[in-house]
Amino acid sequence: MFDMIVSQAVNGLVLGFLYVLIAVGLSVIFGMLGIVNFAHGAFFAIGAYLALTLSREFGWAAALVAPTITGLIGVIVEVALIRRLYGKEPLLGLILTFALALFAEAILRLVFGAAPLPFSPPKFLSGFVEYGPILITKYRIAVLVVTVFALIAFWSFLRYTPFGRIIRAGSRDAEMVGLLGINLPIALSSVFGIGCLLAGLAGMLAGPLWTVNPSMAAGAIMPAFVIVTIGGLGSYAGAIIAGVLVGVVTSMTIQFHPDWSSAAMYILMAIILLVRPRGLFGEKWERFE
Amino acid sequence: MSSNSSRHAIKISRRALIGGAGGVVLASATASEFGMPYIRSAAASDPIKIGMIYAKTGAVADQAEYMAQGSLLALEARKNSLLGRQAEVIWLDEPTSQAAQQNAERLIGEHKVVGIVGGSLSPSALAISAVVKKAKLPFVAPNAGAIDLTGRLCNKYTFRLQPPADVHTRVLAPYCAGLGKKWYLITAAFAFGQDIKRSFTEFAAANGITIVGADEVPVNTADYSSFILKIRAAKPDVVVGGVPGSDISTFLKQWNELGMKGKIPFAEIAVGATDLWGVGPEAADGLFTLNWYHKNPNNPPEEQAMAASYEQKYKRPAADKAWMGWMAMNAMLDSIEAAKTTEPGAIVNALENWSVQRGGVKAGYRAFDHQMVNRLLVVGIKPKITDKWDYFDILAETPSTDREIETVFGSQAQSACKMDKL
Repeated sequence: MFDMIVSQAVNGLVLGFLYVLIAVGLSVIFGMLGIVNFAHGAFFAIGAYLALTLSREFGWAAALVAPTITGLIGVIVEVALIRRLYGKEPLLGLILTFALALFAEAILRLVFGAAPLPFSPPKFLSGFVEYGPILITKYRIAVLVVTVFALIAFWSFLRYTPFGRIIRAGSRDAEMVGLLGINLPIALSSVFGIGCLLAGLAGMLAGPLWTVNPSMAAGAIMPAFVIVTIGGLGSYAGAIIAGVLVGVVTSMTIQFHPDWSSAAMYILMAIILLVRPRGLFGEKWERFE
Repeated sequence: MSSNSSRHAIKISRRALIGGAGGVVLASATASEFGMPYIRSAAASDPIKIGMIYAKTGAVADQAEYMAQGSLLALEARKNSLLGRQAEVIWLDEPTSQAAQQNAERLIGEHKVVGIVGGSLSPSALAISAVVKKAKLPFVAPNAGAIDLTGRLCNKYTFRLQPPADVHTRVLAPYCAGLGKKWYLITAAFAFGQDIKRSFTEFAAANGITIVGADEVPVNTADYSSFILKIRAAKPDVVVGGVPGSDISTFLKQWNELGMKGKIPFAEIAVGATDLWGVGPEAADGLFTLNWYHKNPNNPPEEQAMAASYEQKYKRPAADKAWMGWMAMNAMLDSIEAAKTTEPGAIVNALENWSVQRGGVKAGYRAFDHQMVNRLLVVGIKPKITDKWDYFDILAETPSTDREIETVFGSQAQSACKMDKL
């Protein structure tokens, strides 16, 4: 039994990191822009479809461009629609992004059809590694490495670059940043684009693991919201810890009580919110109070 | 302002007006007689409306799309005409079973349909069945496999094409038993999955087979790796699946990813060809029951013609679900024509007497439970897939004669259905 617990814990950890990648983009968009982006799952699906199409046409290396294209689509959406919602009633953002999610799913269905499409990992990442009770596929190890690298790179960007400082300052006091003569709209578009890029990256990585179909967003968006809520709205570190927690708790529930596996993350969320109503790392943000 | 407008208005003489009006009348009459005869009959009476409830989103949307296209093809083959009147289909969604129920009520109350075809998943079909029972309107469910639909919860107005889980089990379980005596069950936590679990467990108990593990998984599970690790540790001889729609695609992809393909045989009943096409040739694996396969040389000529029409129209082969939608709608339309009326009771009687010859089996709905008896295919994945639309080798067609039907589908005495009256 101990072997199975170890095996499930490692598997849950890897799954959790994929969830983290989906959730971080959502958390960043909420934290910086104050928008609860229901369309985040749609960008995840767009990333998967772009990666699949590019890999079919030009080989797997071309699929690496998919997250960037997803990010650019995000920038266009922000400029055309999202920026009209800043400072407005939060409900408007919910309605617009929900409509956007439905619209994106319909477009994917129209272009690619409703049927699931086959998408396999690159050949050099097929196969698995066994170490004692732990079995992990090479592709999942690659997902883990790429996720950790993306998270460190994004954190460093926010922390150490002048542009990152503008974004962080703008998320706290947009008016003051504007008064300092900084072009905040460009920064906000970039934030939304980066959030969508992270969703697209998650979609690209999840495509060969999950099923690529127009409704695949549903499988991503709910865990992402749960992770962001558990971690604390807008908290980067919170999203990472919560994602790993959700992955491990889900795996353990599958081992001991499989029919509760889909409910496990919601129960975890309920328990954490009872103890810490703002989530694990939630702070009091004046603009959201 | 008004005087200015009148100055720019086009002036039409009285003679031109009368001439133009006469021309429109003449053109309408000509069109109705020669080009569009339905215009006159449509004007004489409203079109006959058939309700269709198939998922437009969610895990079974791809299967539902094929079913909807097959159903629409059946009506188009009749030039959208029934009983000499124009006929049309009203297609509503079924995102949840509650929505399916509400949409069935809308079809009946608002659109005044004369019958309903649809219900992609068992919970939806059961919900629609309850509505039609109350409204007394014929309903044909092509895809739902829950035993209760034509069992304990049967009613006079509900007909079902898909054989229930216990019938599929009787066909596939002997093949699984031939592969080994230790089974692991992984089934979805909804009506059809639970029926699969029950049917295979009963078969196992009666045939000396040990169930070494049984997991119920939520519908729309995105990651099965933790379940697969459990299966691997349990070391079964066979894994029996019962996950619907695109969930089986996800499962098989991850099954292959974790190196299980070819190590432990996988079997599942009532799959759709599209689910396996979505897995890809590298990961596709298993033994399955299918209702129909477009590459089956034993398909009757009219089904081959349907498959050709489908491929011509939709630029892809007809999957089994397209046939199911076509067959279900055909039964409804044939029965309306046979009844010579849209009166529900007459259509129900006609549906009970409807049948088509498929090889050695006369396919039709049994009067005592309204379950269609038909032949099923046992298929295995080809060792080498070279055509992206051709994944299966047909291993058997069961039942192959009318005499075998009762053995596979069960007798009236075995049925839990207590059929009500019109």
